[in-house]
Amino acid sequence: MTILTRLEQWKERGDLSPEQHLHLAGLCRGEPLSLFFELNVLLYAGVLAFVGGLGWTVSTWSQQLGDVIVLTILFAIFAACFWYCFSRPPAWSRAQTPSPSLIFDYVLYLGCLTWSIELAYLENRFHVFSTQRDFYLLATAGLFFFLAYRFDNRFVLSLALSSLAGWFGLTISHRPLHQDKAYRLYAIFYSLVIGGGGALLWRDGMKPHFFGTYLNIAANVLFWALLSGVVIREGYGGWILALLAACGASLAWGLARRQFAFVAYAAVYGYVGVSSIFLRSLYGDTAVLSYFVVTGIAILAGLVRIARRFGREV
Amino acid sequence: MRAYSASREEAVRARNLLKDWAGEDFLTQAQYQSMEQETVCDLRRTNNFLRLVLLLFTLIIAGAAAGLFFTVVFSQQSERTMGIFLLIFATISYAAAEIAVSQARLYRYGIEEALAVCSVAFLCAGIQLALFSGRLYSLTPDATRCLVPAVGAISSLWIWHRFGLSYAFPAAMIFVVFVPGHWTLSHSTQHLIVAAFYATGLAGVAAVRSRHRLDYLNDDYSLAEAFLWLGIYLATNLQLSSLSLLVQRWGSTGGATEFSRPFYRATWVLIWCLPPVVIARGVQRKDRLVIVAGMIVAILSLVTIKPYLDWQRHTWDPMLAGIVLASVALFIRRWLAREPGGIRHGFTAARLSGKGQHLMNAGSAVFGLLSPHSITASPQTGGPEVRLGGGDSAGGGASCDF
Repeated sequence: MTILTRLEQWKERGDLSPEQHLHLAGLCRGEPLSLFFELNVLLYAGVLAFVGGLGWTVSTWSQQLGDVIVLTILFAIFAACFWYCFSRPPAWSRAQTPSPSLIFDYVLYLGCLTWSIELAYLENRFHVFSTQRDFYLLATAGLFFFLAYRFDNRFVLSLALSSLAGWFGLTISHRPLHQDKAYRLYAIFYSLVIGGGGALLWRDGMKPHFFGTYLNIAANVLFWALLSGVVIREGYGGWILALLAACGASLAWGLARRQFAFVAYAAVYGYVGVSSIFLRSLYGDTAVLSYFVVTGIAILAGLVRIARRFGREV
Repeated sequence: MRAYSASREEAVRARNLLKDWAGEDFLTQAQYQSMEQETVCDLRRTNNFLRLVLLLFTLIIAGAAAGLFFTVVFSQQSERTMGIFLLIFATISYAAAEIAVSQARLYRYGIEEALAVCSVAFLCAGIQLALFSGRLYSLTPDATRCLVPAVGAISSLWIWHRFGLSYAFPAAMIFVVFVPGHWTLSHSTQHLIVAAFYATGLAGVAAVRSRHRLDYLNDDYSLAEAFLWLGIYLATNLQLSSLSLLVQRWGSTGGATEFSRPFYRATWVLIWCLPPVVIARGVQRKDRLVIVAGMIVAILSLVTIKPYLDWQRHTWDPMLAGIVLASVALFIRRWLAREPGGIRHGFTAARLSGKGQHLMNAGSAVFGLLSPHSITASPQTGGPEVRLGGGDSAGGGASCDF
């Protein structure tokens, strides 16, 4: 029985109103067909191609064009974008707010990316913050966070999070020694900061739909950082314990909230981490392959139990 | 012929749609619960993330088990013997996939998918080792060697048809790419043969799918048609096609120059004829995936116009392309919005379903991170000279290698 037949039956039984039936049957037949997603993808690709070309052109022709022209053009684009966004702002709300128009989000995104190009150009040409180069990254992250929350824009939120990560990375690059360890610790600190910050904002009801973005980025950065500590040859004991703890937390969160991406993170990162340690002490193809068969079956059995109990699609 | 009965597939489709509609408040909770009871099906499904992980671990187990078998039992055997055992493994894997579906009633569960995928991989490897091991590579084409990709293509198509695994169809198309290389050395002919295969497939799909416009098979055929259009385009566009790339990689005289001028010109004309044809077909059938395929091939034609004609490329070309893309999107949106209700010829720019929005929410977070910038910066090496270089990240913006 096709969905259209079912809809007809539900209408005849009175489970569906005629208006609902008309609407839902139309959706099933693709009448009308919404091009909302496709138009968004075109706009995103357009902005990305434009910014890529802009960066390429500026980097190639900066000498011929001169600083004034380059900065004027960049500033004009940036100013036009921000004028557009601030001249027709949607009413602010702590909850999710729809974009006022199809292009609004992409104009804001273009403005942010152009701002970044301009700032990078300024910094590299004139060394405005030569003593504290990382300041502009932090300031940019702050600006992007403000814009993301003001205009409810996930693209800009991701830019803010990556700018903040860049600030952490740049801060470490000033340190001459033990960079790997420093990066690892800073990555963990970064993930805790954004995870904790995201959780606080979520609990406060401030754009709670952003929490997923915070949590996914925090989880992946944390797992990569811990995994990089596990794969080192010496002193990995603490890292594997931390990895297992993170996997446990991720698993518990994923199951409790039915967010199975976190269950997947726990399974994959945990397996890679534990395997990297066990495989060091295994010699020969037979032992290694046996390890994969046995542990694979064990993990599979566990996952099937989880899938049956928690992850069943209805 | 299909592993799942039509009634079960329709029930799954109905449940998915009901869930989507309830999420969009097109149905009240009471309506949703009542209707959901009527679409119960006994298939075991799971969340997409768990499905992916289950698929990954099943692949690991199957691969490691086969490797272990050869290591322990047949370490000293010839390749031909190994090939025969791989064929046995293919049979076992396929049988296990069938049992997982028929007995355990797994549906897009990861496990049965991995077993089906393994059966194709074992089959191809088995045939290669059993029939062609020890044969030296020859510069002249050997038609018998096309057996491996041909069997790969046919078995992938069977998996697609039998289990409804959408990715098996493009896998079959990839196998097809390797078939004509064993028949002829002429790259022009190879391109033509691949395009002819895809065109034949397209004709078949177009003929069959008209009967399934409103049932669960429509989505499968829509995806297959979109992939076939893309395949025909890629086989035609000599600047993009995998055959051309492989030729260049293997150090041949390379790329477009080896093709005769009339052939090269003809393909250039074709890559400009295809996008409107594909888009028109998608619009006519109101087929979202075919429209997307049309958009992709149009963008690819735009991107490859200069390399195709050996015109000089400029740094501002991507900017122009970006302006064109955004302008097209805005024009379509305004054109659609001008009609009452924002619907013109059965199309609207408004959001009607939550599906696209969920995808966009996830995509915006991921693509926001992947936009042109670098997360961590390398120490600056350049001085304050005229050329700027080795720069720091500009945060959310472009990496600053000025």
